[in-house]
Amino acid sequence: MKNRIKVARAEYDMTQADLAEKIGVSRQSINAIEKGKYVPSTVLALKIAKLFGRKVEDVFMLDSLED
Amino acid sequence: MKTNNLLPNKHKLTGWIIFSIGLISILILSLFPEFEGFIKVPVVSIYHDGFMSSENDGFFKLVENDITGELAALFLIIGGLIVGFTKEKVEDEFIAKLRSDSLVWSVILNYCILIIAIMFVFDFTFMNILFYNMFTPLLFYIFRFNYLKLKSANHEE
Repeated sequence: MKNRIKVARAEYDMTQADLAEKIGVSRQSINAIEKGKYVPSTVLALKIAKLFGRKVEDVFMLDSLED
Repeated sequence: MKTNNLLPNKHKLTGWIIFSIGLISILILSLFPEFEGFIKVPVVSIYHDGFMSSENDGFFKLVENDITGELAALFLIIGGLIVGFTKEKVEDEFIAKLRSDSLVWSVILNYCILIIAIMFVFDFTFMNILFYNMFTPLLFYIFRFNYLKLKSANHEE
């Protein structure tokens, strides 16, 4: 699964720590999700998308192998 | 994420202190066995089967025993349990995954080592390995979990 968290973060001028604090997770989690090492739960994905004011599909998307 | 069976984060430091005392004492006792034998006290034995004599054999006997090793082992195990099973500052789903991954990893590694030891190590050396095997699942888990946590905290942005 790919994601655009890093881009969205840049738009909102947020660090990983800012984002982590806003949605109540550890910075390690944001780092691992951004790098594609960890696939977040649906709840967490929804929270992240909501914070950026987007739909989940605009932040997280399947990569070509998973389609 | 709700994880109910972990201690609150404030106990982490206490855990590390007890764990360190235990680890250092076990290391000292392993390297210098002459430190053993200083704290000889009567203890309750649930079942006793004397190695040299059989006068005190049986259930619930009061026997004289040096408790240096016992104390060190208790410190290491209790400290290890506290360190391993207290919440992180932010205990979220990713940390929970690291925790369970580390547990799986440590149990598998521990039994792989034990399998090799069963096949290729014998007599008293094997007994020694069994002794360390009392602690290794907990130790491997703690080191693996903290290693994964540190690794995933690095390389920001």
